[in-house]
Amino acid sequence: MSNAFVSLQKLSLAYGSNIVVPELDLDIVEGELIALLGPSGCGKTTTMRAIAGLMAPQSGRIYIDGIDMTRMPANKRGIGLVFQSYALFPHLTTFENAAFGLRLKKLPQAEITQIVERGLRAVGLDRLADRKPAEMSGGQQQRLSLARSLVMQPKVLLLDEPLSNLDARLRLEMRAELQRVQKETGITMVFVTHDQSEALALADRIVLMNNGIIEQIGTPDELYGAPKTKFAADFFGFENIFEVEGNTIKGAAQSLPLGFESTSKYLAWRPGAIDVGVGNFSGIVRGSAFAGEQREYIIESKIGQVHAATPAADPSYKIGEEIVFDFPQDHSLPLAR
Amino acid sequence: MSSKWTSRIIIGITLTFLIGPFLIIILAGLSAGDFMTFPPDGISLKWYLKVFTVESFRASFALSMFLAVFGTIAALILGIPAAYAISRYDIPYAETIKTIVAAPIIVPGIIVGLALLRYLVVPLGFTVTLALFLAHTALVLPYAVRVVSSSLNNLRGDMEEAAVLLGCSRIGAFMRVVLPNIQSGVLAAFILGFVTSFNQVPVSLFLSGPGVRTLPIDMLSYMEMTYDPSVAALSALLAFLSVIIVFVAEKFLGFSRYV
Amino acid sequence: MFQNNREGLALALPAAVFTAILFLLPIGMLLSEAFQVDGHWSLRGYLDFASKPLNQTVFWRSLKLAGLVAMTSAVIGYACAFCIINLDGKNRGRIFGLIVLPLMISPVARTYAWIVILGRTGIVNDAIIGLGLSDTPIRILFTETAVFIGLLQLFLPLMIISLISSMENLPKDVIAASRVLGASWLQVFTKVILPLTKDGLVLGGTLVFTGSLTAYITPAILGGSKVLMLETLLYQRVNVANDFVSAGVIATILIVMSFGANILLKRIAAIRS
Repeated sequence: MSNAFVSLQKLSLAYGSNIVVPELDLDIVEGELIALLGPSGCGKTTTMRAIAGLMAPQSGRIYIDGIDMTRMPANKRGIGLVFQSYALFPHLTTFENAAFGLRLKKLPQAEITQIVERGLRAVGLDRLADRKPAEMSGGQQQRLSLARSLVMQPKVLLLDEPLSNLDARLRLEMRAELQRVQKETGITMVFVTHDQSEALALADRIVLMNNGIIEQIGTPDELYGAPKTKFAADFFGFENIFEVEGNTIKGAAQSLPLGFESTSKYLAWRPGAIDVGVGNFSGIVRGSAFAGEQREYIIESKIGQVHAATPAADPSYKIGEEIVFDFPQDHSLPLAR
Repeated sequence: MSSKWTSRIIIGITLTFLIGPFLIIILAGLSAGDFMTFPPDGISLKWYLKVFTVESFRASFALSMFLAVFGTIAALILGIPAAYAISRYDIPYAETIKTIVAAPIIVPGIIVGLALLRYLVVPLGFTVTLALFLAHTALVLPYAVRVVSSSLNNLRGDMEEAAVLLGCSRIGAFMRVVLPNIQSGVLAAFILGFVTSFNQVPVSLFLSGPGVRTLPIDMLSYMEMTYDPSVAALSALLAFLSVIIVFVAEKFLGFSRYV
Repeated sequence: MFQNNREGLALALPAAVFTAILFLLPIGMLLSEAFQVDGHWSLRGYLDFASKPLNQTVFWRSLKLAGLVAMTSAVIGYACAFCIINLDGKNRGRIFGLIVLPLMISPVARTYAWIVILGRTGIVNDAIIGLGLSDTPIRILFTETAVFIGLLQLFLPLMIISLISSMENLPKDVIAASRVLGASWLQVFTKVILPLTKDGLVLGGTLVFTGSLTAYITPAILGGSKVLMLETLLYQRVNVANDFVSAGVIATILIVMSFGANILLKRIAAIRS
């Protein structure tokens, strides 16, 4: 734990009697870009708010840069937060929004001007210094919110769903912007998102959360390629997840023999991994969709619904037609829980 | 007859009923005669000028102004934190607190005046002015809380959190971020409170003594004694004052959305 | 939402404690006084009060006038609100402003105008004599009619405002649609407009009813001692007879009715949501 810059130890978070995060341990290395990923209500935002000091933990410790921050008030922590709604001050201009924290530090005016101008230039808002937030687009407001936090040179920058309020084009732009800022400043960033593609594209490491518990921590490659739990596999697009016991696969209605032996509790396959046209399993095609490079099928079989996909060039099956398929061992993903 | 004309006539009759009487008092106050008549006996400004020379009107106007200004300020001092707590904190017994604070709107004013007279002024030796001040504060408080609450609810709470994370204390965040953004709500609350307090009659009925009378009470008792047009002139002046206040407030604050 | 609830309570309590101690406590004591006769708990105050014909008259008159004012303002209010809602935006705002305006003006000034209009030498009597309908002035001032007119003028704006705000939520083409489906105007009103604006009617009706019931200025100026209502009676009992038991009884009646109407309102609002 020596190289952990942010360290959450046995953190327990609750709103009144409603426990959101029972016990959470997490270490973040300095300069990392971490995604807290999970469905709504999984505790990711609560965890972020606890790091910021906006909510007090029931128990556990929060260390940042070796200092125990658990009881430190939010305004003394030196942490930046880019709010989902941007939380800009509507009565202040762009310049004054960005200068807000610096003025509280009582820096000399000349220094404030210099830092703010540099900060606004870095996010491309230097020409809009006299505008009020209401006169700016969503993307500009977001960049101002980012600049307002960055000029404070926070130890950690937290971002709450930073891309969710932007349209598709701006989202790509902002993604690149965040990565660039992170490269240039080397700041430790933690962002919260419910969108797996955002986390995969942006993060150095992903912390996947569910029901207040960390399901898995890993690089985007690890989480996408080798999720370790049923929840993680489901979240990253493994459509076919079945309980197995030895060499049988346990379907909803019936158990059938699998072609190989397995020691894990569950096995999962992506749709493309299912062999179609050969094999010991059969079912009826209930749905079929052409998706560019491949054709996707929903198959109703004795072990339940199976999602399969074949290259678009392969012969296609019609809805209602019988289809045979198999679960190959080499593309199967074993899951412990 | 087209429905457009029917509609104009209905609105016209209603407005005549609601506003016409004011026009009549304005004219009645212009009378040159010594008694209230309409149409007035000749035209003069003497009653409008007389209003300013009647000693009791001046004293009671001063008292009403004092109550309206300071009662409303006191109500805002109590009401703004309460409104802030209700909209931003998950406080226990929030409903009870809201009901208590809102009660003065519902309780008929005459009862308030009587109760304060009997249990604060007589046994505890409160002066009538102090009792009036307390009563007016309590009476304006619900309006202050309601209007300020509604402008706080239009303001996102995460702005305060952003200010705190940038280094503000909680009070600092309120002063630097919240207050500037609810200014117009506070001003609207002040105007509404001022008007409510200034026009208030029943509360002050029992809470008046020799030399301590609010303007509306003074007008009522003047009316009982004298039947000259000065009360009409004074009423017209007060109506004018209200119209100007409301017009300015509407122009700058969009006042009517707070009423 | 902040977590520190003690801090929140500290902010909210001054207002609540202020109102509770300086406002509700004395009122509670006043109300309890009506249950104490000669130092004992008793209902005699109420029984004595109820047995006096004058009190009965005043009680029923107050209820009757408040009910009449509420109903009349509902009828005028519907017609007027419907016309205003159909105006274009700019005119609608102006007219709405003119309707709201009287609420900001001193009720004493508002009521005083009626003396000029309804008095012995007022406009109405001038007109009656001028037209030869009567040789001597008719007494209008200090009658129930005068009080009714005064109350209606005082409280009609509240009804119109309530109805307008509920009509603003009316789906746009619902009236045209029901006309097309063959409904008469009466049917449109009873089957479409009335059910959809029920909330505004209840709110406005409650405001007008309780306002009229607890009015002081209007009955004091336009009714005098001839047409007493509950509040003027209370004032008279205290000032003329020092009768605090009757005052407490009337206060209780007024408060029960005001709170009852408010609770009813909240109930109706709750049922709807």
